[in-house]
Amino acid sequence: MSGDKDKGPVNVKLLLIGNSSVGKSSLLLRFSDEQWLPEDESSATIGVDFRVHKMEVKGRRVKLSIWDTAGQERFRTITSSYYRGAQGIILVYDVANRESFDALPRWYSELETYVSKSVVKIIVGNKVDKEFSRQVTYAEGQRFAERMNSLFIEASAKTSTGVQEAFQQVVERILDTPELWAPAMKKGVGLNSTDGGSMPGSINLSETEGNANEGGGCSC
Amino acid sequence: MPTELPYAADAEVSLSYDELEVLRLQYQRELSQSHVTTQTKFNYAWGLVKSPIREHQVEGVRLLQEIYRAEPTRRRECLYYLALGYYKFGNYEEARRFNSLLMDKEPSNMQAQSLASLIDQRVTREGYIGMALAGGVAAIGTILLASLIRRAARK
Ligand SMILES: Nc1nc2c(ncn2[C@@H]2O[C@H](COP(=O)(O)OP(=O)(O)OP(=O)(O)O)[C@@H](O)[C@H]2O)c(=O)[nH]1
Ligand SMILES: [Mg+2]
Repeated sequence: MSGDKDKGPVNVKLLLIGNSSVGKSSLLLRFSDEQWLPEDESSATIGVDFRVHKMEVKGRRVKLSIWDTAGQERFRTITSSYYRGAQGIILVYDVANRESFDALPRWYSELETYVSKSVVKIIVGNKVDKEFSRQVTYAEGQRFAERMNSLFIEASAKTSTGVQEAFQQVVERILDTPELWAPAMKKGVGLNSTDGGSMPGSINLSETEGNANEGGGCSC
Repeated sequence: MPTELPYAADAEVSLSYDELEVLRLQYQRELSQSHVTTQTKFNYAWGLVKSPIREHQVEGVRLLQEIYRAEPTRRRECLYYLALGYYKFGNYEEARRFNSLLMDKEPSNMQAQSLASLIDQRVTREGYIGMALAGGVAAIGTILLASLIRRAARK
């Protein structure tokens, strides 16, 4: 693998999804800037936020573009447009919030509408520092992830437990799946994240419209 | 390795024709039934603001302003996308005004901070270009004026 470094970076697009206030933005901030905002200073994401992060995995340079979507119901229709070209999906729930875990099947059904089967998925059970108020056990999370053919990890954006590992694992799995990023692929999924049209099945924003209406059912 | 700030993803990526069309049709349908939900209107305005076409951006900003006035609960996202819309078509003063309204309420909002530095960057860059252009325009103006005077004199 020594020669791989001269090949230029692999571009990888990751998407963070999950209910509002489970800690998606906090995980991203911890991972990319090694920062933590006090609980009362963080604000719900508007639409989508975006970061670029470079890392080296398995001797290859990787340029990550990470899309941090808003979990609030009111943004559901619009955030679905960001799935296009993603090679990795990070589904986040809050271990101290049962509702956010129970919402995962809904996130999966949305995901399946927009991305191809080979896309790498990882479930992250966040806020493990709140052990005393835990509502979802490790075993439960792991069992569900297995059933959904996804990686699994527990983490805390606050203490930074498991954060680096979560991103590392997705990227490693993506690198192990060359059809997701190698230039000589047949079905052009991903690679160039701004390139539309290469979606498996075309985007249908109207599909989510029914439940995107009003209410803004935010659990926060 | 820290992130290379600033970014505003929605400033750079636009929807495909079909995607925008879905949002437009939904809006038109509700318009024709004379009841437009805020959600539909916001979704369409968002799609318009993201568009690279100036008329779209202007229309998007107009819709957002209507929502802003009518729906206090949707103000924070309206502020953000109003700022973004004005930024995209180059009205940096208005962009700053709306973005600071959001930052007044949420001083540590990183999306607003990021947009603020984007606006600053653009103002600085176009400030230079603006000055160069102004010089150029002045020169062209002189030539134009001269030819007009010449033409007038011939009559
Ligand atoms: N104790 C604890 N709190 C956390 C952790 N991660 C995030 N939080 C807090 O949870 C709240 C929501 O975090 P965000 O990162 O804004 O959540 P989000 O998933 O991005 O929410 P949306 O942008 O609305 O989708 C904030 O008050 C955070 O400080 C964690 O690991 N432990
Ligand atoms: Mg967020």
